[in-house]
Amino acid sequence: MPGIAIQTQKLTRKFGNLTAVDGIDLQVEAGQFFGFLGPNGAGKSTTIKMLTGLLAPTSGSMQLLGLDFAAHGVDVKRQIGVVPEGMGLLERLTGAEYLQFVGRMCGLDRATTQHRSNELLDFMQLADPPKSMIVDYSHGMQKKLALAAAVIHGPRILFLDEPFEGVDALAAGALKALLARMTERGTTIFLTSHVLEIVERLCSHVAIIHKGRLVAQGSLEELRAGISGEAGNKTTLEQIFLSIVGQDGAARPQLEELSWLM
Amino acid sequence: MADVTRLPGVLEQIRLVAGLRWRLLRNSMRRKNSRLDLLGLILVGSLGGIFVLGVSFAFYFGSYGFLSTGRPAWLSLLFWGVFVFWQVFPIFVAGFGANFEFRVLLRFPLSQAAFYIVGLAYGLADFSSIAALCWLLSLAAGAISAKPQVFPAMLLVVSLFLVLNVALERLIGSWLERLLSRRLTREIFLGLFVLSMVSLNFVNPLLARYRALLRPIVFQLIPYFSWLPPSLAGRALVGALDSQLGAFLLGSSGLLLYAIVLNVLLWRRFAAQFQGEELSESAAPARVAARTALTAADDSDHLSALSPQVAAVVRKEFRYLTRNGFAFLSLLLPPLLVLIFSAQFAGMHTTSSGRSFSVSPDTFFPAMSAYLILILMAPSYNCFAYEGRGIQTYFMAPVRFREIFLGKNLMLVFVLMVEIGLSLAMLAWRVGLPSLPICVATLVGIVFAIASQLTIANWSSLNFPRKLEFGQMRGQRQSGMAALTTLGTQLVLGSISGVILFSGRWTGNPWVPTEAFVLFAAAAVAGYFASLDPLSKLAEKKRESLIEVLCK
Repeated sequence: MPGIAIQTQKLTRKFGNLTAVDGIDLQVEAGQFFGFLGPNGAGKSTTIKMLTGLLAPTSGSMQLLGLDFAAHGVDVKRQIGVVPEGMGLLERLTGAEYLQFVGRMCGLDRATTQHRSNELLDFMQLADPPKSMIVDYSHGMQKKLALAAAVIHGPRILFLDEPFEGVDALAAGALKALLARMTERGTTIFLTSHVLEIVERLCSHVAIIHKGRLVAQGSLEELRAGISGEAGNKTTLEQIFLSIVGQDGAARPQLEELSWLM
Repeated sequence: MADVTRLPGVLEQIRLVAGLRWRLLRNSMRRKNSRLDLLGLILVGSLGGIFVLGVSFAFYFGSYGFLSTGRPAWLSLLFWGVFVFWQVFPIFVAGFGANFEFRVLLRFPLSQAAFYIVGLAYGLADFSSIAALCWLLSLAAGAISAKPQVFPAMLLVVSLFLVLNVALERLIGSWLERLLSRRLTREIFLGLFVLSMVSLNFVNPLLARYRALLRPIVFQLIPYFSWLPPSLAGRALVGALDSQLGAFLLGSSGLLLYAIVLNVLLWRRFAAQFQGEELSESAAPARVAARTALTAADDSDHLSALSPQVAAVVRKEFRYLTRNGFAFLSLLLPPLLVLIFSAQFAGMHTTSSGRSFSVSPDTFFPAMSAYLILILMAPSYNCFAYEGRGIQTYFMAPVRFREIFLGKNLMLVFVLMVEIGLSLAMLAWRVGLPSLPICVATLVGIVFAIASQLTIANWSSLNFPRKLEFGQMRGQRQSGMAALTTLGTQLVLGSISGVILFSGRWTGNPWVPTEAFVLFAAAAVAGYFASLDPLSKLAEKKRESLIEVLCK
């Protein structure tokens, strides 16, 4: 049985009176491609920030690869890669310089860093123009670079916050193949995305967060089993998502109120 | 089909734009969550109001005085004052920052004429325009009070002067926007601008030396100035007062011609914008150069004595420094300032009054060092200012913040050493070297000052972060508390160092300051290293506020 890559107990984060994440208990097994879904403002990014050390939990605990984050933060960070919300790039470096910086910060030696940087830049089609600063990259290029930086040290867990947003179809295809290969080799991938088709195609397991609470967690088959679809048709993730999150009637758009648009 | 059946008229559009600007101002004040910032805003606003009002009185009484004492030709001077302020002040305020806000209006269904008129009206709402308008009206009121018969001519001249100034101000702004739309150009201009401001310090010594040579050149240039708008305005009014129709017509038609030409040029600029002129931050795509393979030289590590993490931060800091045009060019300032100060105070030249005085190297060297530390250390009190969203990289990396501080501080110490070395060389050339006890005491004192300040500066950077933009001046200021911390620390350390330096004179033993500084420096260096671990813990506590402030 594979080990547990990510585990949280009663993980909670409050901002003043607002509880963004409300006591969630997550469990992600090693090697899973895990999709973390939720409507806007549900608490996805807050959770990912806590799991990657960018935000301290108000209460609760979390273990990554069996290590308690609070006690072994640096050791945990050595084994994870992150594409955070906003990407967190040092924009006045070139792509190559940024990868070398991250590689060295993660403890790779100079030659390995240089070699991997070149390979990643070629793979992501970022090698040209070599002297452009990140600030001059397009959004999609920045996204690819952030992903390259997240994997340069060969992490065992990869956290991706909206990784395909702004990436063209060709590059997205190559990235998806890369991620699939990583999971085959045992890397755990924790991904948030608003594009449910991507999650459905890539992820074997899914959790849904709504208003800070975890409302569903399991494999796609387990979630489908809990939802009654139309006879003969396989229930899509979108249907699962809407049936769980859209139960709140207030969240449904009242199209008849915008009749002047139609 | 869209439901819009009637576009708002030009006046309605101007009203909407004025309302937009008002709301922007009001909302920006609402976002000032710091009382200090709000106080500063009120203080600056009040001072600005007092300044405008005071100068308005000066213009009123100036024009009244010139006309009532029979010196109408002097009115040109007042027009020159208004003209120079109106055109030059906005360039300073623009601060070489990108300013695309007006062109955002293009997304709305405006006609080109409406866009043009709204553009002119938009320009009238600037501080410089409002102030200059107040002064122009005061000038006119003073002149009319002294000589009521000048009213019709004044009305015409002021109207033409107003129209041409608004057009010229918008035109210069538009040209600057085009010129500075590229980041690299903007940073270079900002650096040159700062250097030119510093170079103004050379004006006095140069004037003192070359006054006789410059005087005839200036007198030769004066006639050409008489064909510029302020002189033409004065000439038209003198003609009206002296009933010289020719002079009046020449002056007023000259103003009219300027107004027409400038408005035509402005129309063409706005037309380019209206037709979708693209101003991009980045350079046009260049021919792709082949990526060079890794060479043996690339592989050598000049920072191998450091841990990989610290070396990575040092390299990154060096790259950031060389790419921040303003910060990089500002490194030229310290040696330049030594040159200026030595020219002014060190007895190398005779002052304009014919009096020669000098400051000894024993005083000059410690004072120069204190000044260098004062200006070069100040940015370190907000050392994450230029990281932006990249601050997250530090928190995601498997390192403790002590490595990041060490890397940043090492780079700063290196820069300081280079700067102090350069300045010392400049000092030796211009003034001479100080005595050995003072030289050694100052150098050890520098270690004390730098180590002490780095500890406090690192703490300040975590507690009072403020995001700054590369290559911009506008809106680029430190947090009020960081500025206070900088000031307080430097005052205290400067006082301690001053007392220690003077202890040599009081005790009659020139080596006492060195001995005292060695003790203080050892304590400061030990304190610095002892502070790194607590600061790492503090960084973890402060990560949310750091990320929030710097990722805005």
